[in-house]
Amino acid sequence: CLTSTQLVENEEQFQKKLADVIVNAEKDVSVGVRLARRLPLPVENEETRPCIDLVVFIINLSFERSFQSVELSLKYVDPGFFLGKVCFLVTGARCWSVSSDRLQSVRKLATSLRCPLLYAEDQTVEGVNTAAARLLRVLKVTAGLTPWATGLSLSTLTRCTLSSDLEGDFD
Amino acid sequence: MESPVTRLPTRRRTKSYGRSCFEASSRFAYTSGQLTILRIPTTREAPRARNIAERVDPEQVTLLIKNEWKLSYVTPLYRFRHTHLKKYSKHLSAFIAAEKQQGTAVEVGLETGYRVTFSTVLGIAETDEDAETVFIQIQSKPMFAATGDALKVVWSGWLTCVNGSPEYLHSLLPDFVSLPLFCSSGPENITVVVKSWFEKMFDCRFGSLGLDSTSLQWLCALWTGCHPDNNIRYLRLLWTLPTQPPLDVSYTVNPQDAWELWNSVRQEDSVDGTVGIDEVKHFMAGLESHFFRHFKIYLSSGTLRKVSTALGSAQQDGKVKILCSDYLATVLTLLTECAILKMPI
Repeated sequence: CLTSTQLVENEEQFQKKLADVIVNAEKDVSVGVRLARRLPLPVENEETRPCIDLVVFIINLSFERSFQSVELSLKYVDPGFFLGKVCFLVTGARCWSVSSDRLQSVRKLATSLRCPLLYAEDQTVEGVNTAAARLLRVLKVTAGLTPWATGLSLSTLTRCTLSSDLEGDFD
Repeated sequence: MESPVTRLPTRRRTKSYGRSCFEASSRFAYTSGQLTILRIPTTREAPRARNIAERVDPEQVTLLIKNEWKLSYVTPLYRFRHTHLKKYSKHLSAFIAAEKQQGTAVEVGLETGYRVTFSTVLGIAETDEDAETVFIQIQSKPMFAATGDALKVVWSGWLTCVNGSPEYLHSLLPDFVSLPLFCSSGPENITVVVKSWFEKMFDCRFGSLGLDSTSLQWLCALWTGCHPDNNIRYLRLLWTLPTQPPLDVSYTVNPQDAWELWNSVRQEDSVDGTVGIDEVKHFMAGLESHFFRHFKIYLSSGTLRKVSTALGSAQQDGKVKILCSDYLATVLTLLTECAILKMPI
């Protein structure tokens, strides 16, 4: 079985580590991981490009540019992908120097697009392995390899929501 | 809002009007312990030059400004009484002497004793709920000094709360006093001893307070906005870009240009005297795009480390210098907010 995922990250650091782990982890399924800094992808290789099952946008919360770059790239994603084939991966959420409003804007974006938002720890080996394992599980569903689930049903269950506590009335 | 210690009686407002009818002037955020929800203002009062000497003793003001302060946050103090400051002074003095005997407060050199003074700085607190600011000064007493010799100040620090979040302050139990912002200036070993004395006496915890990029951007915009009343002389931003090796960028802007950019960003319909977070973001975006036009470098792909003007400077690692006393209240309000946000409950 052949699956293919596209990782998009402005800093190009985490995606390489993640790609290595994903490709080596899975033995029964052939996983293709493509890396890009931003979308749109270059026109030249369009014919040879396989069908992408999952697009993962990696946002590093330490840099404002990371989020801005993803916002610009989102314009080039075909609307059909947002029905379960797009996912956001956020790193650096626990870093003390990151302001809380940056994470809030990412969550607002993910909520407005009805996509899941995953958090990852990119500094340690376990963190990278955990993130890779989660992405692989999502990828198997979106590629249709899990009989009881589809990408759309999974993303409906796991999509990011802004907590109603924060939006509700307080007195 | 629920906090683990008290439950305020909640009255649910009837949702008879849609949320989209009015702009939220604040957003909600959790403290770092995820148990308390605070309102973070998205609009602030524009700083007005206020002659602080009307409210605060000028001698005390000189103690606060011009020094570089290292910031920490403090959890609420149990049974701290502003009336017992003399007792605390003696206690801390004895504690430092005891620690020195044990060898922990290392002061290699002349045998010196320490004289500790606790004092209240009235007039810094803005609302009725803010506790009064407490100033601590440690002077060294050389053993062989003649009486009448001026004592040298080796360490100073102060605890303050300015415009603290009312929800947070109301949620405290009666015996607790909240002075969440702690500023210290002096040798690190003495700071450590002072902090451990506070922790033992008042069952509190200290933690280092850094300033995130949003707070630095607020200060950048608010100080620039003061330019017509108080010449800022320069606006200097220090960025670090994550290249190999890391690139430090020092970006100095002519004050008049900065002021014109800020003025152009201020919205026509903005309520006079308030500044919104959107205006701050636009201001920073303007500065960054100007830089990009000249150097083709995105400053937003790096981290903002330091903002400085003639009115003061602030660093991401929690070092602050206030050079102009007129805007003390605005800066301290922002710093108090940062401190409360870091509370581990």
